[in-house]
Amino acid sequence: MSDPSQEPQKFEPRIVAFLCKWCSSAGSDLAGVSRLQYSPNATPITIPCSGSVSPLYILSAFNKGADGVLVSGCHPGDCHYMEGNYLARRKLYLVKELLQFVGLEPDRFRMSWVSAAEGAKFAQVVDGFVKDIRTLGPQNRLRR
Amino acid sequence: MVNPKEIRDYAAGLLEQGRVKSVIGYRRGTAGCFAEPCTLTEPGEAGSLVWDPTCLNNLALYLVKDRKQQAASRTPDRRPIGIVAKGCDSRAVAVLLQENYFKREEVVVIGVSCEGTGVVDPRKLKNSLKGRSALKVEFGGGESIRITTRAGESELPAREVLADRCLECREATPKLHDVLFGESLAERGYDAPFRAVKAAEATSGEARWATWQHHFDRCLRCFACRSVCPLCYCPECVVDSTSFVITPQTSAEEKANRIRWCERSANTAESALYHLTRAIHLAGRCVDCGECERVCPVNIPLRLLNTKLEMEAFEQFDYQAGRDYDRPALISSFRDEDPNSFIR
Repeated sequence: MSDPSQEPQKFEPRIVAFLCKWCSSAGSDLAGVSRLQYSPNATPITIPCSGSVSPLYILSAFNKGADGVLVSGCHPGDCHYMEGNYLARRKLYLVKELLQFVGLEPDRFRMSWVSAAEGAKFAQVVDGFVKDIRTLGPQNRLRR
Repeated sequence: MVNPKEIRDYAAGLLEQGRVKSVIGYRRGTAGCFAEPCTLTEPGEAGSLVWDPTCLNNLALYLVKDRKQQAASRTPDRRPIGIVAKGCDSRAVAVLLQENYFKREEVVVIGVSCEGTGVVDPRKLKNSLKGRSALKVEFGGGESIRITTRAGESELPAREVLADRCLECREATPKLHDVLFGESLAERGYDAPFRAVKAAEATSGEARWATWQHHFDRCLRCFACRSVCPLCYCPECVVDSTSFVITPQTSAEEKANRIRWCERSANTAESALYHLTRAIHLAGRCVDCGECERVCPVNIPLRLLNTKLEMEAFEQFDYQAGRDYDRPALISSFRDEDPNSFIR
């Protein structure tokens, strides 16, 4: 029998997920209480609103070793603070474009709208993201 | 063509009437033929003002510096300041006004039009002169630059020596001004705006990363780009936490747990983080004066990062920094038709 400690470690994507506390965070909770099976690779960070995500959070996550960053907020029109997700959309569009411009793979950064009732969608978003990151492999470009 | 005498007379007039406490302009410098920024406080000094293609600096920076000085001063002098502004300088003043950095009546903008040309790129000038040094660089009228060396006078097509930003300039005439010298030309026969960014975008992601990795790797973290930028005016930059004061009472735990967004060490990833953060902070604010690129000691094409975001702002959100200074800032506003398809 081979020694498991001698085997090369399989790459497990590390994903940082910034989840709005009013929707996506509750959505991830719903996925949990509904006993949906989905990838355990996403580390959730609950934030007050997707509009409160500073671009620095995303850059910093990549810098500190995230293989992918997910930002998830409420559907347009559903923001608890009226317009936070619209502001997030514009701001994070610029971040996405900038990251692509310097040559980070486009699939590393993702944004989604997940409401509190969409537990299944949350599981699907995370699964899809993990699958894409698995094919890309570890993120070494912005990692320090 | 702009006659420098007109600028001098106007500046002297402003100072004589006491309408301004000082005028920020350009005078003959000591570094070869290049002009240097200067602050005039006496009408008699106005004779030293110059205006030619070597007036590289963005003078809006000195408005910001004055503001900071006044804020720290016990006896602040709130009288207005006059400033000689090219198209790009005037855009920077406009963005500062939009951000309420100072009030409109606190600045007198003496607009000068670059007309058919702009300012020279010292590196391009050096190359085109093949080792000789220029004694004088003047506007040649139309789209040419007249250069005097020891061998005599020659006229070059402006395209050969103009700075990249001037080739892509979208507004060579200051739109925000109190007085304007020179003509406003609608058509200039140079590159379309954002040409360099579009060329860079046409390459593959791998190739772009290879280029940027090379550039970020060379970054010295001298922060010249930050110091020269008129819009990088934060008292404390996010990349260096100067407000974290270490006293004898500071525990090891506090030191270890303090937030470090970005380390100061000059390695590829940290420099990338610094430059990307800076680009994002300038999104919708960068007026494309190209100063960051000009002062970079290792020639990192920093302008590309900023113009990339300006291009997105213009194409996706119909927003131009310096043009839309009466509108809310780019990232504090939104429209229903903003791009949404990239979101799952």
